[in-house]
Amino acid sequence: MSSETGFDPALYDRFPTKGERPAGELKQLEDIWCKPKGWELLTAVNNNYIGFFYVATAFAFFLLAGVLALVMRVQLALPLMGVLPQETYNQFFTMHGTVMMFLFAVPAMEAMAVLLLPQMLAARDLPFPRLSAYAFWAYAVGGLCFFASLFVGLAPDGGWFMYPPYTSTTYSPGINADFWLLGIGFIEISAIAGAIEIIVGALRTRAPGMTLAKMPIYAWAMLVFGVMIIIGFPSVILCTLLLELERAFNWPFFDATRGGDPLLWQHLFWFFGHPEVYIIFLPASGLVSMVIAAVNRTPLVGHNLIVLAFLATGFISFGVWSHHMFTTGMPTLSVSFFSAASMAVSVPAGIQVFSWIATFAMGRARYNTPTLFLLGGLITFVIGGLTGVMVAMVPFDWQAHDSYFIVAHLHYVLIGGMVFPFFAALYYWTPMTSSRALSERLGKWIFWLMFAGMQVTFLPMHLTGFMGMPRRVYTYLPGRDWDLLNMISTVGAFLFGAGVLLFLIDCARNMRFTTDNDAGNVYRGGTLEWLPTGLYSTRSIPVVKSRYPLWDDPDLPKDVEEGRYFLPNSATGLRETIVTSPLRAEPQYVQIMPGPSPWPLLAAIFTAGFFMILTIQAYYTAFANGVLAIACILRWMWDTDRLVPDKKVDVGAGIMLPTYRTGPGTHGWWAMIILLIVVGMIFTMSVFGYFYLYGIHPQFWIKPPDVTWLVPILLGHGGGAGLAILARYMLARENTELWTPGVLICCAAASLLFGFGVDCWNWTAHGLWPTASGQGAIVYAFQSLQGILVFICVLMAGYLSARNSRALIVCPRNNTMDLVVMFMCYTAVEGIAAALIARLFPGPF
Amino acid sequence: MRAWAYMLGGLIVWTVHFFAIYIAASVFPGLPLGHVLTLLITLACLAADAWLIVRLRVPSGGDDFREWMRKLALVGAGISAISVLWQGLPALIV
Repeated sequence: MSSETGFDPALYDRFPTKGERPAGELKQLEDIWCKPKGWELLTAVNNNYIGFFYVATAFAFFLLAGVLALVMRVQLALPLMGVLPQETYNQFFTMHGTVMMFLFAVPAMEAMAVLLLPQMLAARDLPFPRLSAYAFWAYAVGGLCFFASLFVGLAPDGGWFMYPPYTSTTYSPGINADFWLLGIGFIEISAIAGAIEIIVGALRTRAPGMTLAKMPIYAWAMLVFGVMIIIGFPSVILCTLLLELERAFNWPFFDATRGGDPLLWQHLFWFFGHPEVYIIFLPASGLVSMVIAAVNRTPLVGHNLIVLAFLATGFISFGVWSHHMFTTGMPTLSVSFFSAASMAVSVPAGIQVFSWIATFAMGRARYNTPTLFLLGGLITFVIGGLTGVMVAMVPFDWQAHDSYFIVAHLHYVLIGGMVFPFFAALYYWTPMTSSRALSERLGKWIFWLMFAGMQVTFLPMHLTGFMGMPRRVYTYLPGRDWDLLNMISTVGAFLFGAGVLLFLIDCARNMRFTTDNDAGNVYRGGTLEWLPTGLYSTRSIPVVKSRYPLWDDPDLPKDVEEGRYFLPNSATGLRETIVTSPLRAEPQYVQIMPGPSPWPLLAAIFTAGFFMILTIQAYYTAFANGVLAIACILRWMWDTDRLVPDKKVDVGAGIMLPTYRTGPGTHGWWAMIILLIVVGMIFTMSVFGYFYLYGIHPQFWIKPPDVTWLVPILLGHGGGAGLAILARYMLARENTELWTPGVLICCAAASLLFGFGVDCWNWTAHGLWPTASGQGAIVYAFQSLQGILVFICVLMAGYLSARNSRALIVCPRNNTMDLVVMFMCYTAVEGIAAALIARLFPGPF
Repeated sequence: MRAWAYMLGGLIVWTVHFFAIYIAASVFPGLPLGHVLTLLITLACLAADAWLIVRLRVPSGGDDFREWMRKLALVGAGISAISVLWQGLPALIV
């Protein structure tokens, strides 16, 4: 058998080990991974707690947005109803869409991953537990503040995709739109933090032997989900930033009268917005694929094809964004490409659906609640998919665009593709986190109420749309034959609501959160999350030899529980897990994991405070919150990246692994690479904006400054990167007491600051201001992005110097130093690229 | 990275194709040059897919995992070829 890292796979044959394990090992594990008590719950970072909080919070947002939907349906039940005034209705539909998409659907999927992935991969926890905690608290605090804007009449009202010019200051002068722009932009940062956690977790913390071929299908789905987030979400972060800059400082990115273009928003938004649908669907598809195998007691049919379908969806979904823009007058050929891609993306979805049907055909399905939700979701999603192919055809889309047909289509896709699978998953996995399973009898009632409610609500909307009812109208006149259909939809919505209410009752009666006394494998699943677990996850980490290890090795739970596999104890006396290689999951090193801490919570509160207070224009208070957030993050980081006394430890069966690694193989390195991809995507999308604005309105553009100014700018950035690399080199040579690496890193930051300063000054001296034109706005957007990076570099330099002064930067190599150098080099590259693009294109003319 | 490029080669070709023809159609809207470039890019990407398929057709002789990767890459390249063809067709008919 080949090896990826030099690890000898024959060593796996030593497991399960023979003989009794020393007494006290289990007690040591329990002490190290002890339960938080009382207020300590707020400092918990363990995935069992954070995952549960996360799922519960996401579900709470589902309820809140659902209540908004019910009130809207009452308003539309009859013509000329007066339940909601027009302005309030606008806020309701905007908040309903926004909360469902940004605060329920994506976070719910990340939440499930935080809860399930470590157990499914038999890792002790996800690789960055404090990042998970920060992502959760930021989302929860920020989301609740955002939702509360509704109670004071300040909720956004421009629709969940916030098209300018509706949302420009001219047409939306209040701060409602700012709540959306700052709130959602901030919540997306939390989503990206979660995605980094999930990608690194899926690739680097799998149980030994769990090659990509044996990785659970859900982990595959979450891997693709994470990658799609880091590619897609930067676009929405950028466009929210640009629109906020336009609103706050009058930078005309989207103002067609000054060289901007409102369609730029649509391109940027939908480059995120359409993949978002698959970002929601793929994890749900992963959940379905797991549950369907268990309830049918047979391996998933077409496992490899589904993996390929996930990957293909991940790629193709980034080629369909403009199908939301068929009515905007794009070139015919471009429209044809997007139409073709929109039809093509249904092929991977079809592969998944046929695989699920085949699994049902091959297995012996038990018609319990998860099965019913799976079948209901399948039927509903297929209907939504077919109407999706209809609207992918351009002439049809021209007719159906912005009508209730689209409302019906998107709800069929999202409820069938995500909500029903989510409920199936809740029923299936509740016994893993609760001492009692949810009720099967109530569950069937819940399913039929929700399924019937769904169809009764949304099936008539296809007709309402065909009959010409536009979406987002707050009322309509009698005599247009819309009355009956709307009344039916309203009745259906309340049926659906009754199902959800019954689910809450079921939860109240049966859900009893536990970390060590769960109801167990009620549905007879075959994957590792059904091993006996505590807060430390499994007692020992098994060697994985198949996709359904519990079905193929009935002794596995007993052997794992008796500590006969990897890491049966705490080898270092600290929280730890095994980091494995990305392809073949070969053990590489023992990662020391951080424990409970209040700093992620505090950092999240102050970060949310910064963004939310910025909305109400209390700038000093917002600034203070920003400073405190940074201080909390640095304090939380301070405890990390420490050496332990033992350089190598026995992880079981005499296999020795290092406790500290540096370089490209480390989990920190992977996280930094992913972060830099996110930053790079933000920059790439801004470059797209630059070329786009020039292509649309070249008459507003002026000649750039003389190219000789590139010399000091490039020297500044290049010097910064060079000094940073030199610092890393010097660390390997010098004793840290000489301070050399810290000083060099500070010089590197100063050099980057110099390059950035010259670039900014050069444009202002040239007479181009950001308020002048689309060119000015986008050039200064480059500067703003670069300014943020340089600011972070300065912070990093200070932090690294402080660690250096406390002898925490160890020779010859150190992870903190490596990551700072990488970030600085990236900053230099982006600064150089921005300077070159803005001066050489379109060039002196 | 080589392993990932090997496994995702076909899908990467599809991505390159899509964005290349999008740029061509956007830079030369309504001009015959846009159609010609689309066809040329499509042919080049089909050739790349064909090359991948020929290379991946032969079993690698490695272990199960290596074979699994090869099969995934092979089917991916096949899907990519169909998608590239499908995506390039509008240049002939629009």
